Amino acid sequence: MKKVKYRFYVDYEKEEQWVNEMAQNGWHFKKIMVFRYTLVKGEPGAYIYRNELLAGLALKNKNDYLEFLKESGIEVVNKFGGWAYFRKKAAEGPFEIYTDTSSKISYYNRILNLFTVLFLGNLIMGIFNLMVSDHASYRGTISSTAGIFGIATAILILIPNIKIYRRKNAIKEQQQIFEE
Amino acid sequence: MGQNNPPLTEGVYYILLSLYEPRHGYGIMQLTEELSNGRVRLGAGTIYGAIKTLIDRKWIVTFDEDGRKKEYIITGLGKSIIQSEIKRLHELYENGLQITKGEKS
Repeated sequence: MKKVKYRFYVDYEKEEQWVNEMAQNGWHFKKIMVFRYTLVKGEPGAYIYRNELLAGLALKNKNDYLEFLKESGIEVVNKFGGWAYFRKKAAEGPFEIYTDTSSKISYYNRILNLFTVLFLGNLIMGIFNLMVSDHASYRGTISSTAGIFGIATAILILIPNIKIYRRKNAIKEQQQIFEE
Repeated sequence: MGQNNPPLTEGVYYILLSLYEPRHGYGIMQLTEELSNGRVRLGAGTIYGAIKTLIDRKWIVTFDEDGRKKEYIITGLGKSIIQSEIKRLHELYENGLQITKGEKS
């Protein structure tokens, strides 16, 4: 049995939480297309799900890494838009991709680097489009729409960026006391 | 060699110990869990990142690549790092016992 849900997550950790809640209720994540999640009926809580941003890794490293995960008993359920969705049987114990502070920090840094580039790119293009739309020689409506869209996208990227930055700082503080 | 190495993380310590015999990633994960009685569970992403760094530092090398699964083994340099870490842990342990002797929490 299949079910389709439409969801929009700015924060990938919230998305992961939702996917796991659905799995607890017997609806297992199968596929994502933009905002469209396909879920399949299954044994409640049989799997634990994790997502990870793979964009920003070199292609060779990406394949190498995915191979490594598969060898550790992790299943790649779906890949979409630079993100990968993994799962592991709950019976095999807790499932986390990153378990210590330093690897968590370097993962957060990887996300922050990419998101910051996307944020600045959208912001600059947005402002540029708005400025161009001011010139009478241009057909204003198209570029002002593009400008507003670019700035809106930039703000949408900024929200998770700030959240991730805060999470990173919180675990960095811990690192001053604990060797993990 | 390695007199003034900063402390190793638990993960790196157990990864290096696991590689006194050739093992692949999953083998490292299982042995670490077993040695620590389930206390230390290393995530695949954490092990993968650590392996890359340890290879760069020449503390471990890939052992055999003919099979599908890549195996790794500790180098002489890696072993000397483990030795100096054991010395450091021994010092911490001895001093801890000596000062808190007889005290119960």
